[in-house]
Amino acid sequence: MSRSGLQRGLVVLAGLGVAALACFEEPTSPAQCPAFCPGGGLASVESLLPTAIQRDSSFRGYVQAHQSLMLLASNLPGVDSRPIWVSNAIQTRFRIDSGSDTTTGPIVVDSMKLTLWVQRRDTAAVHNLRLAFYQLPVGIDSATTLADLAPAFAGTPLRVVNVDSLAALPGRRDSITGDTVLAVDSIRRNSVLLRLKFAASQAGYSEADSGKLALGVIATGDSPPSVGLGSSDAGFPATAWWFIHVDSAGKLIRPDSLPLKATDSLGAPPTFDSFVFDAPAVTLDSDLTVGSVPSIRSLLHVDLPRGLRDSTQIIRATLQLVPAGALVTTTDSVFLQVKRLQADFGAKSPVVLDTFVASSRPFRGAPSDTVRIEMTTIFRGWQADTTAVTAFYLTLLALSRVDSVHASGTEASTLAALRFYSSRSPAFRPSIRLTYVPRVKFGAP
Amino acid sequence: MTIRVAPVLALGLLVGAGLSPLAGQDSPFGINGLGTPGRFESARARATGGAFAAFDALSALTDASASGLGRLTASATGTTSYLSDDLGAVSGSRRSTRFPLFQIGGPAWSHVVLVAGVSTYLDRSYHVVVHDTVALGGSQQAVTDNLSGDGGVSDIRFAAARRFGHVVIGAGLHLLSGSSRFQFTRNFSDTSTYGDVTQAGEVAYRGMGFSGSAIVAAAPHLELAGFWRSDTRLSSEEDGKIVARHDLPTTLGGAIRWQPAPEATFGASLTHRGWASAADSNAYNTTTWSVGAEFGRRLPLRLGARGGELPFGPGGQAPRETAFAVGTGRVFAGGRGLIDVTVERLRRTGAGLTETGWTALFGVAVRP
Repeated sequence: MSRSGLQRGLVVLAGLGVAALACFEEPTSPAQCPAFCPGGGLASVESLLPTAIQRDSSFRGYVQAHQSLMLLASNLPGVDSRPIWVSNAIQTRFRIDSGSDTTTGPIVVDSMKLTLWVQRRDTAAVHNLRLAFYQLPVGIDSATTLADLAPAFAGTPLRVVNVDSLAALPGRRDSITGDTVLAVDSIRRNSVLLRLKFAASQAGYSEADSGKLALGVIATGDSPPSVGLGSSDAGFPATAWWFIHVDSAGKLIRPDSLPLKATDSLGAPPTFDSFVFDAPAVTLDSDLTVGSVPSIRSLLHVDLPRGLRDSTQIIRATLQLVPAGALVTTTDSVFLQVKRLQADFGAKSPVVLDTFVASSRPFRGAPSDTVRIEMTTIFRGWQADTTAVTAFYLTLLALSRVDSVHASGTEASTLAALRFYSSRSPAFRPSIRLTYVPRVKFGAP
Repeated sequence: MTIRVAPVLALGLLVGAGLSPLAGQDSPFGINGLGTPGRFESARARATGGAFAAFDALSALTDASASGLGRLTASATGTTSYLSDDLGAVSGSRRSTRFPLFQIGGPAWSHVVLVAGVSTYLDRSYHVVVHDTVALGGSQQAVTDNLSGDGGVSDIRFAAARRFGHVVIGAGLHLLSGSSRFQFTRNFSDTSTYGDVTQAGEVAYRGMGFSGSAIVAAAPHLELAGFWRSDTRLSSEEDGKIVARHDLPTTLGGAIRWQPAPEATFGASLTHRGWASAADSNAYNTTTWSVGAEFGRRLPLRLGARGGELPFGPGGQAPRETAFAVGTGRVFAGGRGLIDVTVERLRRTGAGLTETGWTALFGVAVRP
């Protein structure tokens, strides 16, 4: 290569090198603030907003017992709750022949198997959990009370099952009674699906009722239990499976051997399920009340100062509630949840259906100290959307024992009812503790 | 050959300029002040420590020096710096590439030479990572702050110069403009309790200045230069509102250049800037000096040293700066293309911080 060519190549290489170097930079410097840091940096400010909660009230009737996602079976001092349901009607007669002969024969029940989810049970506190099944009148509905069913529950139960003993058997199956634990939910801790066998004499089949069967459950244990059974609203209905033969002039025929093939079992999910209970009456007063069944919610409005909403970045917002006592206490694990409102229509305000909720830590009984709920995400949402309604419902939920990062629970799944002081009690009113970073003034050195 | 090379280099520099802000070398000393002042020197003048800048037509230090542009000339300077900082037991390193000087000028009429150009006035680029604890909720919370700024203030200069016998007079108008994008983030170690913070903003700068200078041929091989510059106030605007105003300095300086032989030139300069009024107690007036020499003509050897004070820094005392430089240059295509290369060793000290580094400068000029 000639000398001029070499020079040319070096110069071109240098030019391209400079252009490539211009594409990046790493200007990080060691920091020792405030000497070598920009002025007007990030500062965190904590502020208690004692009057931020305003126009707070409690309202009743959001979730009824028959709408609950869990059927409560409690047998606690002062609190008695019993699940009830009515199964669907079944076909009680089948055609014997496929020809022009339309003669039908009645079904004969061999047995009934009931599949039932026990979704919430405290295996540590309550041993020998027993479920006693009682036959109830098929006319029960959402207006039925425990007192109405007292005569039915006073009789002899159709069956009594010891859930803990059954779950402890090898293979989780009782070869004598025919009871089985079909599944143990790996997500919902201690949740089991039972299949309980009722012999023909225990099944309570009634052709006059078209096979409808109404059942009620009383839970007992070595210590007072409070468990939750699956409900049809939650997608876990208690379903009766009728195993039958067909009577053809005194001869019992298997349904699958009839000319018009039929299965040998008929499924009957509930047409109605609920629970009846006896618990201390909960009345609303000037304090904030949550919990109970039908569920009670408190509606709280937040007056967030504009200066904080528009000119700061909130990094922590904590709702502080001072307990004013418990109206009903149970052994259920519960927590308080805050849900934003989509629009403010008072007691009938719709909630925003998303995952931006805030919850307290789970607890049992009545909280003895101030309850704190971290609402940072919700407050940040209000900063981002200044048209959003700055109000929320406060609800008491029964803790679902689900292995999840976030607490989940269901409303009207506990009879516990708590009170907190409202804004009408100046010394103990709800407050917001806000931590925020004021807007940085970038222009100043 | 050289007529082809120069455009390639110019293209390289201009492509780079589109990807990187037009700003000068940054320094931690300027973070808590208005920034790091730019140097209005071309690569060739920087090789002499800046001693020749007052006489250098490709530099923007004085307006009178523009009279040396015998024909239309476009020039640009690029720098790449590798800097390391030592602050107590903590050290860090930085690498940045800047294009601090663009200029175009040439004779207009009646021996008047006009020049327009853009140079870095203040660099406000930085990135600081701070690990700290803050007291929140009755306990200490660990936080990590990332504080960064990118941008600066540019000096848009319009200048004119005219020779009157042995004297050259120059004057200039300076429009200060630019912006910085800032982003401050704070991350909490306890992410379940505290949300992260990100605040961003863009600050626009405005200001104005005037300058005047004269170069006198005191003897056949001796030139003297004097220069003055006064800048008004720097307004910082965010979202259309002025959020800060800072006084800008008045600059006074003088320089001497002596050429005892055709292939040997010596120079020196002294400059005073009144930065003390620009900010609070951490701003200082500065006096800087430089000496340098150039030997040879075809492939000259340039040497220089400079020193003095920096205008911003903590501790109640102005940080000090010392630099040594060496460089060379080449003229191509019968004087139509110029390339200059300089390497500078830099050291800044103050308030426990020592900043050292190497800076490579590339200068290119095209005379079509």
